[in-house]
Amino acid sequence: MTEKKEGKGFKPVPATENLRVASIKRQPAIQIRVNGRPLEATPGETVLAALTAAGFRVLKKSNVSGEARGAFCGMGVCYECLVTINGVPKQRSCMTEVQDNMEIQIYEPAQS
Amino acid sequence: MSQPKADVLIIGNGFAGIVAANRLADAGVHAVLLDENIHIGGQLLRQVPERLGRAVRHDDYVKKTGQRFIDAVKAKKITVLNRTRVLGIYPGHEVLVEENEKKIRTLKAERIILATGGREKFLPFPGWTLPGVISGGAVQVLIKSSGVLPAREILIGGSGLFLFSVAYECLQAGGRVRAVLERTGVFDKLPLLAQLPRQLPKLSEGARFLSRILFSGVPLRFRTRVLEARGRGRLEQVVTAKVDGSGKIIPGRGKTYEIPLLAVSNGFAANVELAQMAGCDIRFLDERGGWVAATGDDLETSVPGIYAAGEITGIAGALKSINEGEIAALAILHKMGKTGEADFHSLLKKLLAARRRHLQFGKYFNLLYKIPTADYLAIPDETLICRCEDVTMGELRKAVANGYDTPATLKIALRTAMGDCQGRTCGPIVYDILAALTDRSQAGMTPLVVRPPVKPVAIDSLAGYSE
Repeated sequence: MTEKKEGKGFKPVPATENLRVASIKRQPAIQIRVNGRPLEATPGETVLAALTAAGFRVLKKSNVSGEARGAFCGMGVCYECLVTINGVPKQRSCMTEVQDNMEIQIYEPAQS
Repeated sequence: MSQPKADVLIIGNGFAGIVAANRLADAGVHAVLLDENIHIGGQLLRQVPERLGRAVRHDDYVKKTGQRFIDAVKAKKITVLNRTRVLGIYPGHEVLVEENEKKIRTLKAERIILATGGREKFLPFPGWTLPGVISGGAVQVLIKSSGVLPAREILIGGSGLFLFSVAYECLQAGGRVRAVLERTGVFDKLPLLAQLPRQLPKLSEGARFLSRILFSGVPLRFRTRVLEARGRGRLEQVVTAKVDGSGKIIPGRGKTYEIPLLAVSNGFAANVELAQMAGCDIRFLDERGGWVAATGDDLETSVPGIYAAGEITGIAGALKSINEGEIAALAILHKMGKTGEADFHSLLKKLLAARRRHLQFGKYFNLLYKIPTADYLAIPDETLICRCEDVTMGELRKAVANGYDTPATLKIALRTAMGDCQGRTCGPIVYDILAALTDRSQAGMTPLVVRPPVKPVAIDSLAGYSE
């Protein structure tokens, strides 16, 4: 896996893909942490968007079977994109805007 | 703690809500507009991030109209409560809300307009719970609200005009679309076209979407169904099949796509839960897209003082929502004695004539894209239906065969609709499946009772609440 240096002296989570639309005006990046690792985000975007832009698809596991799940409806209906935000569990990542220094915990399946 | 006191409380700040708020404010009525989303505008009018070198915010007639209403709401200083979720509606028009996912309080108003909109419907298939399978709506929300593509390239499948809208949005944002798979055929149900008079603005929008998609060389595959999504822990492959006019799979004509992102959509269902909780009658009408709030011509529901406007009374798109926002506001102003008899009747007559046209338009698409019974019956046993409680189609079949053949008994037997989403996702699917398995119409069924809290709420929030 290749890690790209993004300046500011911290190593971002390896961004497998940056999916932000290039033609959109954005404010200067802020920093959030995903499972303790720094990730850049843009003010105004949702937590889900920041995670999606960095290539995260898996966000939680099923309560019942334990299988990996990710965002589905994207608009607050399905509760499949639940993550822990600043220590509060089961927050809908699609309904929450990112904030500087936000701590986000997602489910990461063991690498196979 | 029952403040701010409003004359009219409008739940939902999409088209119907913002139009009604404007009309009421114009007449000096104090309206409060609340919604659980971060920004005003509902699903269709999501705030588009500013583009470099371009000032365009919304590029079509309907959305420009909506933007004008949003600007007007702001200019008129109408009270707007965003990120405010309704947990329950109680007798006496008391509405329990949670603000910012922490503070709970009660709002009260003489009159309430339910403008709760609709949500997407889905036809489940094996693997639809894999990360990487998302709704068409999710694609649009990511792009429009956050300027983020769900993936560099996506595959789109399901049924309905919305698929084209998703493809269009993706292409506009610089993404690639591998193909659009539409379950129905181009000329299926041609006779329904007779119901399409005077819908040129909508058709021209559709034509614009379509030409952009075709111009980009995106393959459109009609009579094509998504059969299965495969992958280890996330989506890797999508298996599709060709179907004939009756929806039966034609063997040997399938295709497998290697792709990490599939967007699915199968039409829309009205958000009737708050109407149910408020005690308003709801009814099942295929031509309106399923269960809808029942109203009179003035859009008042069976509960005096509670009105319903927009997709909640029938799926038909933004123009109907604008129209019904106007009607609900007018009816309330009339009740409040703020409009003259003659004015009221002549304006109402005009609005109702327009409403009939919008309903005709909705009827055409709701019937065209209705998921056929055969498609539900063909869902393989291992397919998850309730995503929260992991209930499979096989379990549903078994329970129904054992006599659990109403939404309520199924819920008790299998926990369908008892998870975090409270049946928002699987509810309409389970009703459809139940109707298919028992070969009867939903019109005779009793939908699940809706109890507070309508959405999950933290114990902390409840603990901090005082009357």
